[in-house]
Amino acid sequence: MSEKQRDPIAQALIDRINDGFMVASEEDMTPGYKGALLTPRTVQGDTELMSAPAYYLAARDAPTIDSRIAVTAIVHDELGHANIAYRIMEDLGVDKRHLVYGRQPHEFKHPYGFDQPLENWAEMVVANGFFDRAGITLLGDVHEHTSYGPLKRALVKVDREEILHLRHGESWMKRLAKAGGEAGEALQRAVDWMFVMTLEWFGLPDDLKRHGGQLDYRLKGKTNDQLRQTWMAATVPLCEGIGIDVPAHWDADNEEYVIDCTFPCRYDPGEKRWLHDEPLTWEQVFERWKKRGPMNERYVEMVQGNGGLFGGRQWQA
Amino acid sequence: MADAQVYEVFARKDHTEALKHVGSVNAADDDLAKAYAWTMYDEENWVEMCVVPRGAFIPITHDGALPLWGN
Repeated sequence: MSEKQRDPIAQALIDRINDGFMVASEEDMTPGYKGALLTPRTVQGDTELMSAPAYYLAARDAPTIDSRIAVTAIVHDELGHANIAYRIMEDLGVDKRHLVYGRQPHEFKHPYGFDQPLENWAEMVVANGFFDRAGITLLGDVHEHTSYGPLKRALVKVDREEILHLRHGESWMKRLAKAGGEAGEALQRAVDWMFVMTLEWFGLPDDLKRHGGQLDYRLKGKTNDQLRQTWMAATVPLCEGIGIDVPAHWDADNEEYVIDCTFPCRYDPGEKRWLHDEPLTWEQVFERWKKRGPMNERYVEMVQGNGGLFGGRQWQA
Repeated sequence: MADAQVYEVFARKDHTEALKHVGSVNAADDDLAKAYAWTMYDEENWVEMCVVPRGAFIPITHDGALPLWGN
């Protein structure tokens, strides 16, 4: 929206924010600001929440008791992070109980990556290395730039813990690569589907993105493409350094990372394979996300309980 | 089940720093609030941690309105 078309009250808030104003109460917000603040918090909370059952199941393949404790501690952290996002929303009038227990599985807004099964230890640690890296890339940017005071404060704990998850994942990726053999092969297979899965996570490229309020209201600082570049700047050298192939490289002339495969393209969730000869439009990607993936119902059921005496599930009533 | 209320969580890492707001929990009573705060906000080795029911705050700024703690 150009400045000419913008509502003067919204423009006044944007001007104040550009002068360094931190929003601290609902009275300070315009409806546009509140919407631009709340919508990504659902995605944030749902992503953290759905990582918990995915990691919990994957922890069964942990090679040692120490590594199993590490992953269950990560599950604990992720549930806490989901609660933080939902608490932010609750203070703005959204029903936290409904968010967790009142929605059907397909109504959750997490990325497609957390609809997939993590079936072995290699997939678990690549999830820590790639998915948690995506989380810290996105939330680190929000933490640095957000104009909403309560969110800035809440993200101190989240960022700190996500960095530990990331270190856990990257350390284990290095160990598996060094071990080679079956461990190295499993690592490469995990990276093959999870690298492109995480590239999708950052959403529409900038040239297709409708101009939203998040950047205007300084609820985030970087665009989708810039965030995707930040993620690749960490993950591509990591993988290259341990002899793992990824479909991306640094283009020194243009000073950016370039994706070397068809992107976006069709995905076969049963085979965990990207069909690089079947390109998709982003609209088709969003359709796939909306239909949700193979573990969606199981993961939501694990979070919501089995409908027993104390189970919190509400949508089946 | 009693309705849960919001408790604000405060803690400090060492005795030289100020007690700071670190988050919040929804709990049905003080004992559960203590348990939830202790298990959820475990990112540091706190030397002191306490919870306060949100309704017990007496705001001085913001024209007496409760601020949005929000986290």
